[in-house]
Amino acid sequence: MKRFVVLIVVVSLMGLLFAGGAAEKKSDAITLEWWTWDADMLEANKQIIAQFEKDNPGVTINNTIIPTTEYWTKIRIQANQNRLPDVFTMSSGYIEEWAKEGLVYNLDPFIQGDDTFDLFYKPIFDTSKEISAANHYHTIPFALVTTVLYYNKDAFDKAGLSYPTDDWSWADFRNAARRLTIDKNGDGKIDQWGFTFTGRYAEIEPWVFANNGSFVDRSTMRFKPDKNAMDALKMLTDLVLVDKVAPPQKDMSTFKLEEVFYGEVAAMWVDGSWLTDSFRRNIGNDFRWGFVQIPQGPGGNRITYGWPDSYALAPNTKHPEMAWKFARYVAGEGISLDTYMGGKIPSAKKLAEDPKFADTSIQPGLDMLKLIEQANSPMTTSYTMGWSEWRGYGGSEALGLNGMIDAIINGQMSFDEAMKKGTEGINSVLARYYK
Amino acid sequence: MTQTPFRWHRRITPWLFILPTIIGLVVFRLIPIVSSFYLSFTEWNLLRQPAFIGVGNYRELIQSGEFTTVALNTVQFSLLYVVGSMVLGLALAVLIDVQIKGISFYRAAIYLPVVTSAVAVGIVWNWILGPTYGLVSNMIEAVGLSAPYWLSDPKLALNTVATLQVWKMSGYYMIIFLAGLQTINREVLESARIDGANALQSFFSITLPMMMPTFFFVLTITIIDSFKNFELIYAMTKGGPQNASNTLVYDVYLNAFVFYRVGYASAIAYILLLFVGALTIFNFFIKKYFVYSLD
Repeated sequence: MKRFVVLIVVVSLMGLLFAGGAAEKKSDAITLEWWTWDADMLEANKQIIAQFEKDNPGVTINNTIIPTTEYWTKIRIQANQNRLPDVFTMSSGYIEEWAKEGLVYNLDPFIQGDDTFDLFYKPIFDTSKEISAANHYHTIPFALVTTVLYYNKDAFDKAGLSYPTDDWSWADFRNAARRLTIDKNGDGKIDQWGFTFTGRYAEIEPWVFANNGSFVDRSTMRFKPDKNAMDALKMLTDLVLVDKVAPPQKDMSTFKLEEVFYGEVAAMWVDGSWLTDSFRRNIGNDFRWGFVQIPQGPGGNRITYGWPDSYALAPNTKHPEMAWKFARYVAGEGISLDTYMGGKIPSAKKLAEDPKFADTSIQPGLDMLKLIEQANSPMTTSYTMGWSEWRGYGGSEALGLNGMIDAIINGQMSFDEAMKKGTEGINSVLARYYK
Repeated sequence: MTQTPFRWHRRITPWLFILPTIIGLVVFRLIPIVSSFYLSFTEWNLLRQPAFIGVGNYRELIQSGEFTTVALNTVQFSLLYVVGSMVLGLALAVLIDVQIKGISFYRAAIYLPVVTSAVAVGIVWNWILGPTYGLVSNMIEAVGLSAPYWLSDPKLALNTVATLQVWKMSGYYMIIFLAGLQTINREVLESARIDGANALQSFFSITLPMMMPTFFFVLTITIIDSFKNFELIYAMTKGGPQNASNTLVYDVYLNAFVFYRVGYASAIAYILLLFVGALTIFNFFIKKYFVYSLD
């Protein structure tokens, strides 16, 4: 009798389970997995999801946020197991490798058949396509990030200098850096540096490309800095070693990179436009600041160093149409500037053209429009396969080309010695990827 | 004679108790150990399936000048760590092997860095040793000397990190040495004192020889621990400047989780295993002579 009762209970429970499954099937419920890496966007993502789910009954979006330090390892394992999330954030640094491995959905059929390019800037899609070295659109960019020259307006005022402009030459920049390098209390130590930089990609490449130079010979895929690139590197390292208007990297090693600028240790700094958000939070109204394009070098046409941040779709997603719809929505179509990260250039026209994008009530005010100008200018990157290894990025930021440039400005290696050693190491990495 | 109904239960009971441990060891230790041995003969970026390349990774390691630097750094770090930890751990144990007021506080204070997060320790020491506003640098400059770049000078970076690791972990070895010290028969020390032995003679002729089993136990674990140096390097130098503080463990991390060269990283891990294995065997070999000589 007891056994019989247990049997009835088990059968009933199974029946309920199957009934639940059938009900789900009937309503065509769709669940999409969405992986991102920006923890600051948690609340904004919740709002976006709530609105999308409201507009699309029966659709559930699960957002997983994983910090960048772990994101790539985890998502690679998902890729290996054919369990990629339906929609996931993709870096321009990895898109070439992922496209080559067939791990991102070919978006051409969607893009060709809808109004994507009426709603989004096509050049940003094209930049992503170019970086992926493929003949198809594999990503839907949600932002373009570029690099800019940040400057402290108060420091310029005190030095009696006029603010930088987009047509500044390197001579203008060096002159300002000299006048902004100040020993305020006369103790023989510099209290305010004119400029600061390290070997980091976002602090070096902008100058190389602003001098129309290149690091990598794309025909052979080997590291072969041309004359313009070498001139840019020499100009930068001379700022520390000859002009003494920028500190060696070892003197600033205790600081977080952006602290040197918002802590008013340096009056000018070049890095990513995405730091606008951090500066708004950390500087507040302590001092006035703005940004301009990287000063143009003598080598010719300035090329902007920038790249898209994008979403990609899993190649085996069970719901490609809905995944595409959500990717477009979250890339800009369905969101407002309130839920958008500051300092990034929206790929969605309605966001970029929103007057609030260059809100004059918060810094840097109308300078934000310069980012839109940059988005429409020629653009390039130094990304290749194996980039993080040869460039020195993340856990290897003290190594690779980054480490070599730091060694020059720290006086630990001569320019020629570091470039020779760096070139050998970098090409041994590239030779593994491009045989 | 009839069997009791729960006889089977008695036979299986011990296995049931150790089963969770066995499962844990097999899943989290044995399978990864065997898998990574196989992976060390493959090229694998996590995206596709591993591709067998024979001894390619080992060949690349041997031919790489960078690997030689990293291996030598590892030996240097280990040497500093083992000697430093043993000397400091023993010295601290001798110092606190007394009954004075507040001794528990001192013992806890010395032990505190052991239980503090290595990343937090790294960040705080970064500030203390920092060249511009660092406490140590300012103190050195206050007496008219110029402070070195503790973490940015290629000649100093590895030694600085190894010293901090010694500082962090010595409290742990101190506790083990203290336990060893407290097993020594006080009457022997008392007799020596009556016979006219001074403190140093007692220490080197009685305490130290009687501590040999503890000494070799600590030597074995410091050798093993000396290779676990990832956290401080990650928090303080990231292997720089110019590979000066890169060690085998950090290189495994870089290759596996930054460059996604899992096969190559596995080969480095097996070279590391050879290092640790050889040193441990050597340790057991010499232990026989030193420890048994007391009997």
